Amino acid sequence: MKTLRVLGSTLLLQMKQSFVRPMFRFCLIANPILNTILVYEMFRNSGQTDFAAYAILGAGLMGLWGCICFSSAGDLNRERYSGTLSQIFVAPAGFQTILWGKVLGNTLLSLGTLLFSWLTAKLLYGASFPIRSPGYLLLAFLAAVGCFLSVSVLAAWLLTLSRKTTLYMNVIEIPVILICGFVFPAEQLPRWAQILGMVLSPTWAVKLLRMAVAGVPDRAAFWRAFGTLAALTALYLVLIRLLYGEIQKQVRIRATLEVC
Amino acid sequence: METVVEVRDLKRTYTVTKGFWRREKRQVTAVDGLSFTVERGEIFGLLGQNGAGKTTTIKMLITLLAPTGGLCRVLGYDTFGQERAIRGRINFVFGGELGIYRRLSGRDNLKYFGNLYHVPPELRDRRIDELLRLVELEQDGDRLAETYSKGMLQRLQIARGLMNDPEILFLDEPTVGLDPLGARMLRSLIARLREQGKTILLTTHYLPEAEELCGRIAILHKGRLLALGTPQELKEQAGQAATLEDAYVRLVEGAV
Ligand SMILES: Nc1ncnc2c1ncn2[C@@H]1O[C@H](COP(=O)(O)OP(=O)(O)OP(=O)(O)O)[C@@H](O)[C@H]1O
Ligand SMILES: [Mg+2]
Repeated sequence: MKTLRVLGSTLLLQMKQSFVRPMFRFCLIANPILNTILVYEMFRNSGQTDFAAYAILGAGLMGLWGCICFSSAGDLNRERYSGTLSQIFVAPAGFQTILWGKVLGNTLLSLGTLLFSWLTAKLLYGASFPIRSPGYLLLAFLAAVGCFLSVSVLAAWLLTLSRKTTLYMNVIEIPVILICGFVFPAEQLPRWAQILGMVLSPTWAVKLLRMAVAGVPDRAAFWRAFGTLAALTALYLVLIRLLYGEIQKQVRIRATLEVC
Repeated sequence: METVVEVRDLKRTYTVTKGFWRREKRQVTAVDGLSFTVERGEIFGLLGQNGAGKTTTIKMLITLLAPTGGLCRVLGYDTFGQERAIRGRINFVFGGELGIYRRLSGRDNLKYFGNLYHVPPELRDRRIDELLRLVELEQDGDRLAETYSKGMLQRLQIARGLMNDPEILFLDEPTVGLDPLGARMLRSLIARLREQGKTILLTTHYLPEAEELCGRIAILHKGRLLALGTPQELKEQAGQAATLEDAYVRLVEGAV
Protein backbone atom coordinates (compact mmCIF):
# COMPACT_ATOMS: atom_id res chain seq x y z
CA MET A 1 0.00 0.00 0.00
CA LYS A 2 2.72 2.43 1.03
CA THR A 3 4.79 1.37 -1.93
CA LEU A 4 1.84 1.73 -4.28
CA ARG A 5 1.26 5.25 -3.03
CA VAL A 6 4.88 6.14 -3.67
CA LEU A 7 4.71 4.55 -7.11
CA GLY A 8 1.45 6.29 -7.98
CA SER A 9 2.41 9.74 -6.80
CA THR A 10 5.83 9.52 -8.45
CA LEU A 11 4.19 8.44 -11.69
CA LEU A 12 1.83 11.41 -11.65
CA LEU A 13 4.56 13.84 -10.67
CA GLN A 14 6.73 12.57 -13.48
CA MET A 15 3.97 12.88 -16.10
CA LYS A 16 3.18 16.38 -14.95
CA GLN A 17 6.81 17.45 -14.98
CA SER A 18 7.52 15.92 -18.34
CA PHE A 19 4.45 17.25 -20.02
CA VAL A 20 5.04 20.87 -19.08
CA ARG A 21 8.44 20.75 -20.74
CA PRO A 22 8.33 22.03 -24.32
CA MET A 23 11.19 19.74 -25.34
CA PHE A 24 9.28 16.72 -24.12
CA ARG A 25 6.17 17.76 -26.01
CA PHE A 26 8.31 18.13 -29.09
CA CYS A 27 9.66 14.59 -28.67
CA LEU A 28 6.20 13.28 -27.93
CA ILE A 29 4.27 14.96 -30.73
CA ALA A 30 6.41 16.63 -33.40
CA ASN A 31 9.08 13.95 -33.50
CA PRO A 32 6.78 11.04 -34.41
CA ILE A 33 4.99 13.19 -36.99
CA LEU A 34 8.24 14.11 -38.72
CA ASN A 35 9.62 10.59 -38.40
CA THR A 36 6.49 9.13 -39.93
CA ILE A 37 6.74 11.42 -42.93
CA LEU A 38 10.41 10.60 -43.34
CA VAL A 39 10.04 6.85 -43.04
CA TYR A 40 6.84 6.78 -45.10
CA GLU A 41 8.47 8.60 -48.00
CA MET A 42 11.48 6.32 -47.81
CA PHE A 43 9.44 3.15 -47.91
CA ARG A 44 6.82 4.37 -50.37
CA ASN A 45 8.54 2.82 -53.37
CA SER A 46 10.00 -0.14 -51.55
CA GLY A 47 7.56 -2.50 -53.19
CA GLN A 48 6.57 -3.87 -49.81
CA THR A 49 2.84 -4.21 -49.33
CA ASP A 50 2.94 -3.51 -45.63
CA PHE A 51 5.07 -0.44 -45.83
CA ALA A 52 2.54 1.86 -44.16
CA ALA A 53 2.38 -0.30 -41.09
CA TYR A 54 6.15 -0.49 -41.19
CA ALA A 55 6.43 3.28 -41.28
CA ILE A 56 3.91 3.87 -38.54
CA LEU A 57 5.42 1.31 -36.23
CA GLY A 58 8.99 2.28 -36.97
CA ALA A 59 8.45 5.99 -36.53
CA GLY A 60 6.32 5.50 -33.45
CA LEU A 61 8.88 3.24 -31.82
CA MET A 62 11.71 5.61 -32.67
CA GLY A 63 9.79 8.39 -30.99
CA LEU A 64 8.95 6.20 -28.01
CA TRP A 65 12.58 5.22 -27.53
CA GLY A 66 13.72 8.83 -27.89
CA CYS A 67 11.22 10.00 -25.29
CA ILE A 68 12.17 7.28 -22.84
CA CYS A 69 15.86 7.80 -23.40
CA PHE A 70 15.88 11.52 -22.99
CA SER A 71 13.46 11.64 -20.17
CA SER A 72 15.03 8.99 -17.96
CA ALA A 73 18.46 10.48 -18.35
CA GLY A 74 17.43 14.08 -18.69
CA ASP A 75 15.16 13.91 -15.69
CA LEU A 76 17.85 12.51 -13.47
CA ASN A 77 20.08 15.34 -14.54
CA ARG A 78 17.39 17.94 -14.06
CA GLU A 79 16.76 16.63 -10.57
CA ARG A 80 20.47 16.69 -9.93
CA TYR A 81 20.54 20.38 -10.81
CA SER A 82 17.39 21.22 -8.90
CA GLY A 83 18.73 19.53 -5.79
CA THR A 84 15.83 17.11 -5.51
CA LEU A 85 17.83 14.06 -6.59
CA SER A 86 19.65 13.85 -3.29
CA GLN A 87 16.37 14.20 -1.44
CA ILE A 88 14.57 11.42 -3.20
CA PHE A 89 17.69 9.28 -2.97
CA VAL A 90 17.69 9.24 0.83
CA ALA A 91 13.91 9.15 1.31
CA PRO A 92 12.64 6.05 3.15
CA ALA A 93 10.50 5.16 0.13
CA GLY A 94 13.66 3.85 -1.51
CA PHE A 95 15.22 5.03 -4.72
CA GLN A 96 14.34 1.81 -6.51
CA THR A 97 10.59 2.36 -6.09
CA ILE A 98 10.93 6.00 -7.07
CA LEU A 99 12.85 5.15 -10.22
CA TRP A 100 10.19 2.64 -11.26
CA GLY A 101 7.52 5.26 -10.70
CA LYS A 102 9.37 7.74 -12.87
CA VAL A 103 10.01 5.28 -15.64
CA LEU A 104 6.40 4.08 -15.58
CA GLY A 105 5.13 7.65 -15.83
CA ASN A 106 7.42 8.50 -18.69
CA THR A 107 6.74 5.30 -20.59
CA LEU A 108 2.98 5.63 -20.31
CA LEU A 109 3.14 9.19 -21.54
CA SER A 110 5.60 8.32 -24.29
CA LEU A 111 3.30 5.66 -25.73
CA GLY A 112 1.53 8.66 -27.20
CA THR A 113 4.17 8.67 -29.95
CA LEU A 114 2.59 5.55 -31.45
CA LEU A 115 -0.75 7.32 -31.56
CA PHE A 116 0.72 10.40 -33.22
CA SER A 117 2.57 8.48 -35.89
CA TRP A 118 -0.58 6.48 -36.68
CA LEU A 119 -2.59 9.70 -36.90
CA THR A 120 -0.01 11.29 -39.19
CA ALA A 121 -0.02 8.40 -41.60
CA LYS A 122 -3.80 8.28 -41.60
CA LEU A 123 -4.48 11.98 -42.03
CA LEU A 124 -1.61 12.81 -44.36
CA TYR A 125 -1.50 9.75 -46.56
CA GLY A 126 -4.80 8.08 -45.85
CA ALA A 127 -2.79 5.04 -44.91
CA SER A 128 -4.57 2.22 -43.18
CA PHE A 129 -3.13 0.15 -40.40
CA PRO A 130 -4.78 -3.21 -40.76
CA ILE A 131 -4.75 -5.21 -37.57
CA ARG A 132 -5.01 -8.79 -38.63
CA SER A 133 -4.57 -10.45 -35.28
CA PRO A 134 -5.54 -8.13 -32.44
CA GLY A 135 -4.84 -10.76 -29.78
CA TYR A 136 -1.25 -11.19 -30.84
CA LEU A 137 -0.79 -7.46 -31.27
CA LEU A 138 -2.02 -6.78 -27.75
CA LEU A 139 0.34 -9.42 -26.40
CA ALA A 140 3.25 -8.06 -28.40
CA PHE A 141 2.42 -4.54 -27.27
CA LEU A 142 2.34 -5.46 -23.59
CA ALA A 143 5.59 -7.39 -23.95
CA ALA A 144 7.15 -4.37 -25.65
CA VAL A 145 6.07 -2.06 -22.84
CA GLY A 146 7.52 -4.44 -20.26
CA CYS A 147 10.73 -4.58 -22.23
CA PHE A 148 11.07 -0.81 -22.47
CA LEU A 149 10.35 -0.46 -18.74
CA SER A 150 13.11 -2.84 -17.72
CA VAL A 151 15.58 -1.29 -20.15
CA SER A 152 14.87 2.21 -18.85
CA VAL A 153 15.18 1.25 -15.20
CA LEU A 154 18.46 -0.51 -15.87
CA ALA A 155 19.74 2.47 -17.84
CA ALA A 156 18.61 4.92 -15.18
CA TRP A 157 20.45 3.01 -12.47
CA LEU A 158 23.64 2.92 -14.48
CA LEU A 159 23.30 6.61 -15.21
CA THR A 160 23.13 7.62 -11.55
CA LEU A 161 26.76 6.53 -11.37
CA SER A 162 27.94 9.37 -13.54
CA ARG A 163 27.38 13.06 -13.84
CA LYS A 164 27.66 12.97 -17.62
CA THR A 165 24.22 11.45 -18.07
CA THR A 166 23.06 13.47 -21.05
CA LEU A 167 26.20 12.65 -22.99
CA TYR A 168 25.63 8.91 -22.60
CA MET A 169 21.99 9.24 -23.52
CA ASN A 170 22.82 10.99 -26.77
CA VAL A 171 25.44 8.36 -27.48
CA ILE A 172 23.06 5.42 -27.19
CA GLU A 173 19.87 6.80 -28.74
CA ILE A 174 20.55 6.34 -32.46
CA PRO A 175 22.69 3.16 -32.27
CA VAL A 176 19.89 1.38 -30.43
CA ILE A 177 17.41 2.47 -33.07
CA LEU A 178 19.68 1.02 -35.75
CA ILE A 179 20.87 -2.12 -34.04
CA CYS A 180 17.48 -3.14 -32.70
CA GLY A 181 15.87 -2.74 -36.11
CA PHE A 182 13.33 -0.05 -35.25
CA VAL A 183 13.04 1.23 -38.83
CA PHE A 184 14.67 -1.34 -41.06
CA PRO A 185 15.19 -5.05 -40.50
CA ALA A 186 18.21 -5.85 -38.37
CA GLU A 187 19.09 -8.62 -40.83
CA GLN A 188 20.60 -6.00 -43.12
CA LEU A 189 23.22 -5.05 -40.58
CA PRO A 190 26.75 -6.47 -40.40
CA ARG A 191 27.10 -9.70 -38.47
CA TRP A 192 28.59 -8.21 -35.28
CA ALA A 193 25.80 -5.66 -35.02
CA GLN A 194 23.23 -8.40 -35.38
CA ILE A 195 24.80 -10.37 -32.56
CA LEU A 196 24.82 -7.26 -30.37
CA GLY A 197 21.19 -6.67 -31.30
CA MET A 198 20.22 -10.14 -30.16
CA VAL A 199 21.12 -9.48 -26.53
CA LEU A 200 19.27 -6.17 -26.53
CA SER A 201 15.68 -6.89 -25.64
CA PRO A 202 14.10 -4.10 -27.77
CA THR A 203 15.17 -6.04 -30.88
CA TRP A 204 12.78 -8.82 -29.93
CA ALA A 205 10.01 -6.46 -28.95
CA VAL A 206 10.20 -4.84 -32.38
CA LYS A 207 10.23 -8.24 -34.04
CA LEU A 208 7.12 -9.31 -32.14
CA LEU A 209 5.25 -6.16 -33.04
CA ARG A 210 6.13 -6.56 -36.72
CA MET A 211 4.96 -10.16 -36.76
CA ALA A 212 1.73 -9.27 -35.00
CA VAL A 213 1.03 -6.51 -37.50
CA ALA A 214 1.68 -8.85 -40.40
CA GLY A 215 -0.85 -11.27 -38.95
CA VAL A 216 1.56 -13.82 -37.46
CA PRO A 217 2.38 -15.91 -40.53
CA ASP A 218 4.52 -18.24 -38.44
CA ARG A 219 3.21 -18.96 -34.97
CA ALA A 220 6.22 -20.91 -33.81
CA ALA A 221 8.48 -17.99 -34.73
CA PHE A 222 6.25 -15.60 -32.79
CA TRP A 223 6.40 -17.68 -29.66
CA ARG A 224 10.13 -18.18 -30.00
CA ALA A 225 10.62 -14.42 -30.16
CA PHE A 226 8.21 -13.97 -27.27
CA GLY A 227 10.12 -16.48 -25.16
CA THR A 228 13.43 -14.81 -25.96
CA LEU A 229 12.05 -11.41 -25.04
CA ALA A 230 10.64 -12.75 -21.76
CA ALA A 231 13.96 -14.38 -20.92
CA LEU A 232 15.96 -11.24 -21.71
CA THR A 233 13.58 -9.05 -19.72
CA ALA A 234 13.85 -11.44 -16.78
CA LEU A 235 17.61 -11.27 -17.11
CA TYR A 236 17.52 -7.47 -17.05
CA LEU A 237 15.34 -7.57 -13.94
CA VAL A 238 17.80 -9.91 -12.25
CA LEU A 239 20.62 -7.59 -13.26
CA ILE A 240 18.77 -4.62 -11.74
CA ARG A 241 18.24 -6.62 -8.57
CA LEU A 242 21.90 -7.59 -8.39
CA LEU A 243 23.30 -4.19 -9.27
CA TYR A 244 21.20 -1.70 -7.40
CA GLY A 245 22.62 -2.30 -3.94
CA GLU A 246 26.14 -1.86 -5.21
CA ILE A 247 25.22 1.15 -7.33
CA GLN A 248 23.60 2.81 -4.34
CA LYS A 249 26.86 2.38 -2.44
CA GLN A 250 29.01 3.60 -5.30
CA VAL A 251 26.86 6.69 -5.75
CA ARG A 252 27.52 7.62 -2.14
CA ILE A 253 31.21 6.94 -2.42
CA ARG A 254 31.68 8.86 -5.65
CA ALA A 255 29.31 11.72 -4.77
CA THR A 256 27.58 11.76 -8.16
CA LEU A 257 24.16 12.86 -6.95
CA GLU A 258 24.91 16.52 -6.90
CA VAL A 259 26.34 19.11 -9.14
CA CYS A 260 29.29 19.93 -6.95
CA MET B 1 21.58 12.13 28.26
CA GLU B 2 21.35 10.22 25.05
CA THR B 3 23.91 10.62 22.31
CA VAL B 4 22.11 10.84 18.96
CA VAL B 5 25.02 11.83 16.74
CA GLU B 6 28.45 10.34 17.17
CA VAL B 7 31.35 11.21 14.92
CA ARG B 8 34.82 9.89 15.62
CA ASP B 9 37.93 10.45 13.52
CA LEU B 10 35.67 11.02 10.52
CA LYS B 11 37.33 11.49 7.13
CA ARG B 12 36.06 12.24 3.68
CA THR B 13 38.03 12.78 0.51
CA TYR B 14 36.73 13.59 -2.95
CA THR B 15 38.43 12.50 -6.13
CA VAL B 16 38.47 15.26 -8.70
CA THR B 17 39.65 14.89 -12.27
CA LYS B 18 41.43 17.78 -13.86
CA GLY B 19 42.42 18.58 -17.40
CA PHE B 20 40.89 17.67 -20.70
CA TRP B 21 43.57 15.84 -22.65
CA ARG B 22 45.72 14.60 -19.85
CA ARG B 23 43.26 13.57 -17.19
CA GLU B 24 44.73 13.94 -13.78
CA LYS B 25 43.17 12.58 -10.62
CA ARG B 26 43.57 14.48 -7.42
CA GLN B 27 42.32 13.88 -3.90
CA VAL B 28 40.65 16.70 -2.02
CA THR B 29 40.34 16.16 1.72
CA ALA B 30 37.17 17.83 2.92
CA VAL B 31 36.89 16.30 6.39
CA ASP B 32 40.06 15.21 8.11
CA GLY B 33 39.71 13.33 11.38
CA LEU B 34 36.70 15.05 12.93
CA SER B 35 35.21 14.00 16.28
CA PHE B 36 32.20 15.29 18.21
CA THR B 37 28.89 14.11 19.67
CA VAL B 38 25.44 15.64 19.83
CA GLU B 39 22.98 14.88 22.63
CA ARG B 40 19.24 14.54 22.21
CA GLY B 41 17.35 17.83 22.46
CA GLU B 42 20.40 19.95 21.78
CA ILE B 43 20.88 22.67 19.17
CA PHE B 44 24.39 22.09 17.94
CA GLY B 45 26.18 24.54 15.66
CA LEU B 46 28.86 23.81 13.07
CA LEU B 47 30.87 26.90 12.18
CA GLY B 48 33.82 27.39 9.91
CA GLN B 49 35.20 29.17 6.89
CA ASN B 50 34.01 28.40 3.36
CA GLY B 51 35.28 24.97 2.46
CA ALA B 52 35.89 23.97 6.08
CA GLY B 53 33.88 20.76 5.56
CA LYS B 54 30.56 21.60 7.23
CA THR B 55 28.30 20.57 4.37
CA THR B 56 30.34 17.45 3.73
CA THR B 57 29.95 16.45 7.38
CA ILE B 58 26.20 16.98 7.21
CA LYS B 59 25.95 14.97 4.00
CA MET B 60 27.62 12.03 5.66
CA LEU B 61 25.30 12.29 8.65
CA ILE B 62 22.15 12.34 6.51
CA THR B 63 23.32 9.18 4.68
CA LEU B 64 23.89 10.96 1.39
CA LEU B 65 27.64 10.43 1.26
CA ALA B 66 29.82 7.58 2.41
CA PRO B 67 32.60 8.39 4.88
CA THR B 68 36.10 7.62 3.65
CA GLY B 69 37.10 6.63 7.16
CA GLY B 70 36.18 6.85 10.83
CA LEU B 71 32.97 6.38 12.75
CA CYS B 72 29.75 8.12 11.74
CA ARG B 73 26.66 7.15 13.71
CA VAL B 74 23.19 8.66 13.95
CA LEU B 75 20.63 7.39 16.48
CA GLY B 76 23.03 4.58 17.22
CA TYR B 77 23.27 3.30 13.64
CA ASP B 78 26.07 3.54 11.11
CA THR B 79 25.15 6.02 8.41
CA PHE B 80 26.81 3.80 5.83
CA GLY B 81 25.43 0.28 6.06
CA GLN B 82 22.51 0.82 8.45
CA GLU B 83 21.04 3.85 6.68
CA ARG B 84 17.58 2.29 6.46
CA ALA B 85 17.17 2.49 10.23
CA ILE B 86 18.00 6.19 10.15
CA ARG B 87 16.38 7.74 7.10
CA GLY B 88 12.77 7.86 8.26
CA ARG B 89 13.68 9.40 11.61
CA ILE B 90 15.71 12.37 10.43
CA ASN B 91 15.36 15.12 7.85
CA PHE B 92 17.43 17.91 6.43
CA VAL B 93 17.18 21.29 4.77
CA PHE B 94 19.88 22.86 2.67
CA GLY B 95 19.79 26.62 2.46
CA GLY B 96 19.07 28.24 -0.88
CA GLU B 97 16.43 27.68 -3.49
CA LEU B 98 17.21 24.09 -4.43
CA GLY B 99 15.40 20.95 -3.37
CA ILE B 100 11.87 21.89 -4.40
CA TYR B 101 9.84 20.79 -7.41
CA ARG B 102 9.27 24.16 -9.02
CA ARG B 103 6.43 23.00 -11.19
CA LEU B 104 4.36 21.78 -8.30
CA SER B 105 2.49 23.90 -5.80
CA GLY B 106 3.89 24.24 -2.31
CA ARG B 107 1.18 21.93 -1.04
CA ASP B 108 1.86 19.29 -3.68
CA ASN B 109 5.55 19.37 -2.82
CA LEU B 110 4.74 18.63 0.80
CA LYS B 111 2.28 15.95 -0.20
CA TYR B 112 4.81 14.21 -2.38
CA PHE B 113 7.53 14.23 0.25
CA GLY B 114 4.98 13.10 2.83
CA ASN B 115 4.37 10.07 0.62
CA LEU B 116 8.07 9.41 0.23
CA TYR B 117 8.37 9.38 4.02
CA HIS B 118 5.37 7.04 4.32
CA VAL B 119 3.21 9.49 6.28
CA PRO B 120 -0.39 8.12 6.28
CA PRO B 121 -2.61 10.31 4.04
CA GLU B 122 -4.87 11.64 6.78
CA LEU B 123 -2.02 12.63 9.05
CA ARG B 124 -0.13 13.93 6.02
CA ASP B 125 -2.87 16.34 4.99
CA ARG B 126 -3.42 17.55 8.53
CA ARG B 127 0.30 18.10 8.95
CA ILE B 128 0.54 20.01 5.68
CA ASP B 129 -2.03 22.52 6.90
CA GLU B 130 -0.22 22.90 10.21
CA LEU B 131 3.17 23.33 8.60
CA LEU B 132 1.99 25.80 5.99
CA ARG B 133 0.61 27.86 8.83
CA LEU B 134 3.80 27.45 10.83
CA VAL B 135 6.00 28.82 8.03
CA GLU B 136 3.39 31.42 7.10
CA LEU B 137 2.63 30.11 3.66
CA GLU B 138 -1.02 29.23 4.23
CA GLN B 139 -2.10 31.87 1.68
CA ASP B 140 0.32 30.65 -0.97
CA GLY B 141 0.25 26.91 -0.54
CA ASP B 142 -1.66 26.30 -3.74
CA ARG B 143 0.51 28.47 -5.96
CA LEU B 144 3.21 26.92 -8.09
CA ALA B 145 6.55 26.96 -6.30
CA GLU B 146 8.19 28.58 -9.33
CA THR B 147 6.29 31.76 -8.46
CA TYR B 148 7.71 31.85 -4.92
CA SER B 149 10.33 34.30 -3.72
CA LYS B 150 13.62 33.05 -2.33
CA GLY B 151 12.42 33.36 1.23
CA MET B 152 9.17 31.57 0.49
CA LEU B 153 11.05 28.69 -1.10
CA GLN B 154 13.24 28.46 1.93
CA ARG B 155 10.30 28.42 4.29
CA LEU B 156 8.68 25.76 2.15
CA GLN B 157 11.85 23.74 2.54
CA ILE B 158 11.63 24.01 6.30
CA ALA B 159 8.08 22.71 6.12
CA ARG B 160 9.29 19.89 3.91
CA GLY B 161 11.98 19.04 6.43
CA LEU B 162 9.32 18.67 9.13
CA MET B 163 6.91 16.52 7.12
CA ASN B 164 8.03 13.29 8.80
CA ASP B 165 8.22 14.86 12.27
CA PRO B 166 11.94 14.04 12.46
CA GLU B 167 13.81 13.42 15.70
CA ILE B 168 16.88 15.14 14.30
CA LEU B 169 16.81 18.01 11.84
CA PHE B 170 19.94 18.96 9.92
CA LEU B 171 19.97 22.54 8.69
CA ASP B 172 22.72 23.75 6.39
CA GLU B 173 22.70 27.56 6.34
CA PRO B 174 18.94 27.76 6.78
CA THR B 175 18.80 31.56 6.99
CA VAL B 176 20.98 32.37 3.98
CA GLY B 177 19.15 34.83 1.75
CA LEU B 178 16.27 35.44 4.13
CA ASP B 179 15.20 38.99 4.95
CA PRO B 180 15.60 40.09 8.60
CA LEU B 181 12.01 39.26 9.48
CA GLY B 182 12.17 35.92 7.72
CA ALA B 183 15.42 35.06 9.47
CA ARG B 184 13.95 36.01 12.81
CA MET B 185 10.88 33.92 12.14
CA LEU B 186 13.09 30.98 11.34
CA ARG B 187 15.11 31.46 14.51
CA SER B 188 12.01 31.49 16.65
CA LEU B 189 10.81 28.42 14.81
CA ILE B 190 14.07 26.63 15.58
CA ALA B 191 13.81 27.64 19.24
CA ARG B 192 10.27 26.28 19.31
CA LEU B 193 11.42 22.98 17.82
CA ARG B 194 13.95 22.67 20.61
CA GLU B 195 11.17 23.08 23.14
CA GLN B 196 9.43 20.16 21.46
CA GLY B 197 12.51 18.10 22.21
CA LYS B 198 13.91 17.95 18.70
CA THR B 199 17.62 17.76 18.11
CA ILE B 200 18.96 20.27 15.62
CA LEU B 201 22.35 20.42 13.98
CA LEU B 202 22.86 23.62 12.03
CA THR B 203 25.52 25.50 10.14
CA THR B 204 25.58 29.24 9.66
CA HIS B 205 27.96 32.04 8.80
CA TYR B 206 25.93 34.48 10.86
CA LEU B 207 27.51 34.34 14.30
CA PRO B 208 24.92 36.25 16.36
CA GLU B 209 22.46 33.64 15.16
CA ALA B 210 24.68 30.80 16.35
CA GLU B 211 25.18 32.55 19.66
CA GLU B 212 21.45 33.04 20.14
CA LEU B 213 20.41 29.51 19.21
CA CYS B 214 23.15 27.00 19.86
CA GLY B 215 23.79 25.24 23.13
CA ARG B 216 27.16 24.06 21.88
CA ILE B 217 29.25 24.95 18.87
CA ALA B 218 32.03 23.22 16.97
CA ILE B 219 34.36 25.33 14.89
CA LEU B 220 35.85 23.46 11.94
CA HIS B 221 38.98 24.48 10.13
CA LYS B 222 40.24 22.67 7.04
CA GLY B 223 38.22 19.60 7.93
CA ARG B 224 39.51 19.46 11.51
CA LEU B 225 37.99 20.43 14.83
CA LEU B 226 39.41 23.74 15.98
CA ALA B 227 37.31 24.35 19.08
CA LEU B 228 34.22 22.94 20.76
CA GLY B 229 32.07 24.27 23.58
CA THR B 230 29.22 26.54 24.64
CA PRO B 231 29.34 30.07 23.22
CA GLN B 232 30.56 31.20 26.67
CA GLU B 233 33.34 28.62 26.75
CA LEU B 234 34.48 29.59 23.26
CA LYS B 235 34.67 33.23 24.25
CA GLU B 236 36.76 32.34 27.28
CA GLN B 237 38.98 30.07 25.26
CA ALA B 238 39.67 32.97 22.89
CA GLY B 239 40.89 35.11 25.79
CA GLN B 240 37.68 36.70 27.08
CA ALA B 241 36.34 37.79 23.70
CA ALA B 242 33.35 40.12 23.93
CA THR B 243 31.22 38.38 21.33
CA LEU B 244 31.18 35.01 19.65
CA GLU B 245 32.22 36.75 16.47
CA ASP B 246 35.38 38.09 18.10
CA ALA B 247 36.09 34.67 19.55
CA TYR B 248 35.62 33.06 16.14
CA VAL B 249 37.93 35.50 14.40
CA ARG B 250 40.67 35.05 17.00
CA LEU B 251 40.43 31.27 16.97
CA VAL B 252 40.39 30.95 13.18
CA GLU B 253 43.11 33.54 12.63
CA GLY B 254 45.20 31.85 15.27
CA ALA B 255 44.95 28.61 13.32
CA VAL B 256 46.07 30.03 9.98
N1 LIG C 1 31.48 16.91 -4.82
C1 LIG C 1 32.69 17.42 -4.55
N2 LIG C 1 33.75 17.10 -5.32
C2 LIG C 1 34.96 17.58 -5.04
N3 LIG C 1 35.24 18.38 -4.01
C3 LIG C 1 34.24 18.76 -3.19
C4 LIG C 1 32.91 18.29 -3.42
N4 LIG C 1 32.11 18.82 -2.45
C5 LIG C 1 32.92 19.56 -1.67
N5 LIG C 1 34.19 19.53 -2.10
C6 LIG C 1 35.36 20.20 -1.46
O1 LIG C 1 35.40 19.82 -0.11
C7 LIG C 1 35.78 20.91 0.72
C8 LIG C 1 34.73 21.12 1.81
O2 LIG C 1 33.52 21.54 1.22
P1 LIG C 1 32.19 21.77 2.05
O3 LIG C 1 31.12 22.04 1.06
O4 LIG C 1 32.00 20.65 2.98
O5 LIG C 1 32.54 23.08 2.86
P2 LIG C 1 31.59 24.01 3.75
O6 LIG C 1 32.22 24.09 5.08
O7 LIG C 1 30.21 23.57 3.69
O8 LIG C 1 31.77 25.41 3.02
P3 LIG C 1 30.70 26.62 2.80
O9 LIG C 1 30.74 27.43 4.01
O10 LIG C 1 31.28 27.35 1.63
O11 LIG C 1 29.39 26.02 2.51
C9 LIG C 1 35.96 22.09 -0.21
O12 LIG C 1 37.33 22.21 -0.47
C10 LIG C 1 35.22 21.69 -1.45
O13 LIG C 1 35.83 22.26 -2.59
MG1 LIG D 1 28.41 24.41 2.94
